[in-house]
Amino acid sequence: MSAKIKEAVRALLAGGKIKGFLGLREENGNVMPHLFCDPKELEALSLGDWKKAGDTRYPLNQLMIRLTLQYPEETFAVLIRGCDERGLKELFKWKQLAEDKVVLIGIGCPDELAKACECEKPFPDSVIDGPQGAKADSEKVARIEAMALDARLQYWKAEFDRCVKCFGCRNICPMCFCNECSLEENQLVGTGEVPPANPTFHLARAIHMVGRCIDCGLCEEACPADIPLRTLYKKVTEIINKEFGYKTGFSVDEKSPFNIIEVK
Amino acid sequence: MTFLKKLLEFSGLHPERVRTRWVSSAEAVEFVHEISGFVEEIKKLGPNPLRAKAKEAA
Repeated sequence: MSAKIKEAVRALLAGGKIKGFLGLREENGNVMPHLFCDPKELEALSLGDWKKAGDTRYPLNQLMIRLTLQYPEETFAVLIRGCDERGLKELFKWKQLAEDKVVLIGIGCPDELAKACECEKPFPDSVIDGPQGAKADSEKVARIEAMALDARLQYWKAEFDRCVKCFGCRNICPMCFCNECSLEENQLVGTGEVPPANPTFHLARAIHMVGRCIDCGLCEEACPADIPLRTLYKKVTEIINKEFGYKTGFSVDEKSPFNIIEVK
Repeated sequence: MTFLKKLLEFSGLHPERVRTRWVSSAEAVEFVHEISGFVEEIKKLGPNPLRAKAKEAA
């Protein structure tokens, strides 16, 4: 599976087009992010949990932002899936990454994974290897919508009650690039209290995911309390799509409806 | 507002608990009409379920 990827990266490195390739490396059974600068290193390239939903995934886009801040003149390639590509499109739009300094090395996800993620588009446009599977519908959102209003409130209250306010969901989020976070403003969110204000803490974060959440699901994987954050943000993305006709992460040029100031 | 209502509904709160209207300071009648209407609506919906639970706990 990774042969084509290695070949593509080798050609880019040999041609001097990129300074390095940000991907995953396996060492002693552990998978970790790695910046491949030498083609020889590519033997250790890993695709992480490529086949199924697992937890050996990393916010490579977030590392890309850090990398390009340090080396603004260099071009880097990055390993991406469908969700990562959606993230990059939003990050280009929000001017967090320069489009001409990023080379996409895309892999498509198998159906099993796409289904587990309930992914809208389980492959990137720039796919080099892997399947180009079909869109999977979200049953998780539908399951909550089937509940009565008060049952929904009970459900979310119970879920949010487990929150230990570790900020894991925000820290791992490749789309959370703000320098100042309103969840850390003492005026808005009280300190020394666990769980944090229920449900406002999580609803505030949900609102901030408007036009940003590209449904990669890292937040839910990172959550030590297993709060179904992905389902909540899936609904956010769905509302923006249904009510405002905006598909997050599908175009670099189209702005989110919440960022348009129309002067008539 | 459209977004907030939908999100509240998904989290189990009645979307009619929030409302935005633009009323000029010159339109007193309109203002009274809006506020009275909202108060009526809220009374029909009853107390905020989040508040009720906080009171029980206390």
